[in-house]
Amino acid sequence: MQRITIDPITRLEGHGKIEIFLDEAGNVANTYFQIPELRGFERFCVGRPVEEMPLLTGRICGVCPEAHHMAAAKAGDALYQVDPPPTAKKLRELLYSAFYVTDHTTHFYALGGPDFVMGPDAPVAERNILGVIHKVGLEIGGKVIQARKYGHNVIEMIGGRKVHPCTSIPGGLTKGITEEQRREIEEMGRWAVEFAQFSLQLFDDLVLKNQAYLELVLGDIYLHQTYYIGMVDEQNRVNFYDGKISVVAPNGERIGKYAAHEYTDWIAERVEPWTYLKFPYLKKVGWRGFVDGMESGVYCATPLSRLNAADGMATPLAQEAYERFYETLVPGQPKVVHHRLATHWARLIELLYAAERWVELATDPEITSPNIHTVPTAKPTEGVGCVEAPRGTLTHHYWTDERGVLTRVNLIVGTTNNYAPISMSVKKAAQNFIKNGVVVTEGLLNRIEMAFRAYDPCFGCATHSLPGQMPMEVVIRDAQGQPIDVLRQYC
Amino acid sequence: MPEVLVLGLGNPVLGDDSVGWHVATQVAPMLAALPCDVDVLAVGGLGLMERLVGYRNVVLVDAVMTGERQPGEISVFPLEALPDLTTGHLTSVHDTSLPAALRLGHKLGVSLPEQIIVVGIEAQRIYDFTETLTPRVAAAVPEAVRCVIEWVSRFLKED
Repeated sequence: MQRITIDPITRLEGHGKIEIFLDEAGNVANTYFQIPELRGFERFCVGRPVEEMPLLTGRICGVCPEAHHMAAAKAGDALYQVDPPPTAKKLRELLYSAFYVTDHTTHFYALGGPDFVMGPDAPVAERNILGVIHKVGLEIGGKVIQARKYGHNVIEMIGGRKVHPCTSIPGGLTKGITEEQRREIEEMGRWAVEFAQFSLQLFDDLVLKNQAYLELVLGDIYLHQTYYIGMVDEQNRVNFYDGKISVVAPNGERIGKYAAHEYTDWIAERVEPWTYLKFPYLKKVGWRGFVDGMESGVYCATPLSRLNAADGMATPLAQEAYERFYETLVPGQPKVVHHRLATHWARLIELLYAAERWVELATDPEITSPNIHTVPTAKPTEGVGCVEAPRGTLTHHYWTDERGVLTRVNLIVGTTNNYAPISMSVKKAAQNFIKNGVVVTEGLLNRIEMAFRAYDPCFGCATHSLPGQMPMEVVIRDAQGQPIDVLRQYC
Repeated sequence: MPEVLVLGLGNPVLGDDSVGWHVATQVAPMLAALPCDVDVLAVGGLGLMERLVGYRNVVLVDAVMTGERQPGEISVFPLEALPDLTTGHLTSVHDTSLPAALRLGHKLGVSLPEQIIVVGIEAQRIYDFTETLTPRVAAAVPEAVRCVIEWVSRFLKED
């Protein structure tokens, strides 16, 4: 059997790599996508007071500390059986909406968008935000920075700090906002709505009006008919902060909804010998390997999944965009899209929803109320908190002693949900470029990169040790396992 | 606003990755009386670039994983000496590299530092959650602190 290794060397050496095994005929037999894992977080938490978790869990990941902050806060609420006042919940959701705007903006303009704006075959050095600016115009860069700045301002006003908020505690928040802050937040939110509309228009102009790109999106390279999960409100509309998790089958039918504390009834984890990370799957469907279809419990939790798992969006402009999404991609068919590259479009629809929700909450009459905390009185035992992180459903499960000191912690983080489908997408991309022993090296790495980038995965991203670059190395081996060629790309 | 910034980078609970925080924390009281800001940060790329806005000179303190040096070995170099191999994406798959982010900032006319010096400490263990540094990395902290103070003094004299 031949083996091709795509190995991110430097600091991730030995942890993150893609190995492609070929069969005797020279076709892809299997791919192994190994994600570097940061070890021991759950053990690290045991013995600490649960109140520390909204601060501590934000350190798992430098990308979405706000998501961990919220899941930890909600797990703390559940643990103390305390319902925060409406204003506290609204402020948390307002902070979270602003965070979504910054996160989705960064992903689209710095990461996912360049694949389309510059083209999937553009040199990797151009497929970044600088390339986008060069092609589309300098003002785009200014808008991206502005969107991030406004988002961080709101996070700081409500969360006490930029990036790593620190104000959520069991039962609510430690601080509220003034009327002056509210007005400022509203103004920034209105700008964010316009920016989100602009971003969707840009996607329209660059991708939907480009037949080649549309074919790429609708092609079968990145097509997987899996299950989808996503949080919904009582009307089954997308919600990032609170609600039940809706589970939808590949045929578009909802098979059920579960509350955060019921997650173990629905989600099980598969252990494979070749990776430290586990593969979550739907317990009620079962594990059938890395395959899609109605019989396979592999599911996905991404912006695309959230749209598929819901009946619509809770804000008017996002709802219009949602309807157009399905009318364009699956006209007259069940409302479920399986094309993974459509995730980038779904992400922009969520960006618009987050911006609209930001304005809705900023103009809510209760939002400046000083009633932001309910004092917990119950004895803590066990609690589960769930939110939608930008890159998937995030679940925190804590157990404590009667003093609220942690005795056990279990986390299912956003990217982990998607580990199986990411592996499947990488395999499909490889199959497309390696046939009968012929490796089309041009484009192989780009397409594999595009495969996993659609999921916006998070690989131990809390660390920033320099030099930090992650070249991918493809080692092509002959049937005896000897390397016959080495390809390298800094991606 | 002071013209000099010392910024400790890394994850404060991820073993040797936190060495930049340790150094910055020790440096802070020593520079308290001087026109110099000291901070810690756990983000890279665009977020890091945004934090540098308005300063003329910056000292970044961070863990380094070259794999070629001994744990605890200190290297001091201008940021430009760091190969910008991440014009693409994977430094953090959610962000761009710092040099690319700085180029973006320059294009947008943002006020960015004239000089960025990196004090890098070769790390040994950055995949395990712990607040403890490995012994050789911990032993390097005082020397890294001296390096930072020296560079700050040099920058302040230039001003």
